[in-house]
Amino acid sequence: MADTQQKITMIEQFGASVLRGVNNSGRFARFQFDSIIQSVAACFTPRTYSLIWNQMLAIGVRSVPVVAITGAFVGMVLAIQAYDQLAGLGIEEHLGVLINLSVVKELGPVLAAVMLAGRVGGALTAELGTMNVTEQIMAVRSMGTDPIRYLVAPRLIACLLLTPILIIYADFLGMIGGYLISVPYMGINGRAYWNFSASGVELWDITIGIAKGFFFGAAIAGVSCYKGFHCREGAEGVGQACTEGFVGSFIIILGIDFVLVVIFKAIYASIWPLKLLL
Amino acid sequence: MTILADENNKNIIELKNVTKRFGKLAVLDKVSVSFEKGKTTVIIGPSGCGKTVLIKHIIVLLRPSEGEVYFHNQRIDSLDEKKLSKVRTQMGFLFQMGALFDSMTVEENIIFPLQQHSKIKDREQLNKIAKEKLALVGLDGYQEYYPAKLSGGQKKRVALARAIALEPEVILYDEPTTGLDPIRSDIINELIMKLQKELGVTSIVVTHDMKSASKIADRIIMLHKGRIEADGDAAAIQSSPSEVVQRFIKGEISEGDIQSMQVSFEDIKTNDKK
Repeated sequence: MADTQQKITMIEQFGASVLRGVNNSGRFARFQFDSIIQSVAACFTPRTYSLIWNQMLAIGVRSVPVVAITGAFVGMVLAIQAYDQLAGLGIEEHLGVLINLSVVKELGPVLAAVMLAGRVGGALTAELGTMNVTEQIMAVRSMGTDPIRYLVAPRLIACLLLTPILIIYADFLGMIGGYLISVPYMGINGRAYWNFSASGVELWDITIGIAKGFFFGAAIAGVSCYKGFHCREGAEGVGQACTEGFVGSFIIILGIDFVLVVIFKAIYASIWPLKLLL
Repeated sequence: MTILADENNKNIIELKNVTKRFGKLAVLDKVSVSFEKGKTTVIIGPSGCGKTVLIKHIIVLLRPSEGEVYFHNQRIDSLDEKKLSKVRTQMGFLFQMGALFDSMTVEENIIFPLQQHSKIKDREQLNKIAKEKLALVGLDGYQEYYPAKLSGGQKKRVALARAIALEPEVILYDEPTTGLDPIRSDIINELIMKLQKELGVTSIVVTHDMKSASKIADRIIMLHKGRIEADGDAAAIQSSPSEVVQRFIKGEISEGDIQSMQVSFEDIKTNDKK
């Protein structure tokens, strides 16, 4: 008897967690759908431009230092790590290709996005979460304004537009960091370093790195704002929402990165023959 | 027929059989009530009886699980958010903790609804309106303050100024005197009466402060366990035969509550001895 009882509770619990999962996914999808609609609407409403500017300052301009530092260290570390192996083969002058390709295609965008998920995403979740638990979001609604339009859309647009630009900063500083370690410090010939880099890194590589930024920006804003809007009450609720927001956006960034790499590779493979013809 | 039409015109808000469930818990259980235009109705009841949930249904911040909500004889609980926004601009809501935007100054808080809904774009004119509203609640001169610098009572007064910025027909007060000392509470009471007198607004106040209720109310409704326990003017409530109402007015807990507390103390003692 007790055994059956236990089985029923187990099935019940499993069912409840499945239902909760489905509910949450539905809520998440609806929130994202509303956010997209409202963001598009906000682009055509001059009144919201000032809100977007403010968010751009907070999200974009103030993130430049951390993103630049991240990029610079990525470049420098790559140079030191890869030098010995390439020097062993006598091809240390190819170091530029390795560093710059890794930085612009993969490490620059992903690490900059992770940095932004922490800095920007954390701040967004905490701010919106606090507004939620102190009923400020409900106050916006009570005054007849759509909180998604007023609070989420400007943040989403700012993230979407500025993450790619921040990635350019990360790429740029990554290249400089790699150069400073490789040429002045390791003593590689500067001309050879840049020549190999220029022949190895194509415009395509830089473009896909920056293009990833749009998706990463959307993921950071989407997840962080959702978590802020749906956090539980109290300081603990806001804290937990911040953690979940960061972990969520980090995982989604990695997932999106994988998918995009596959897609971009397929696109590249299909246009490569055309390029040869040209 | 005319009498019926008159009756309908007198009532600005009407709730019909409103039930609200959170999960399995029914917080409101088939509540039907209408609110008369230009009057102050106070909803009293112990914490957790569904007062705040009820008042949030009036402005459709919560939607009923069952039942209907009418405003000016128009059904509003089934409207989408966009259509609701128009209805909401005709109501002002004073939140329990004020819910002022803490990233904005007092002045910016008050002009926020105006920027969103009125056609006035000139900042000087907006500032003038903010000044008028602040003067109404006795806080002119606090324009540049941030909410964090204000006391609890001042926050509520600024929130009230924000709630009346669009000159609504109805003002909903969610526990306006909770957490304030008796003097500050009385300031809020006076303000509620002043707004009703000067602006002719319909006020619906949720509170568990009996002193405040009997001072401001034209009509008092007592809510208990999601149902209406009593309904009438202050005198009728005072003389209500219901035990629940009498206990609430006098602030006495029931025998059952006392016993449950004694039992738990006894338990602790016996457990310690063991």
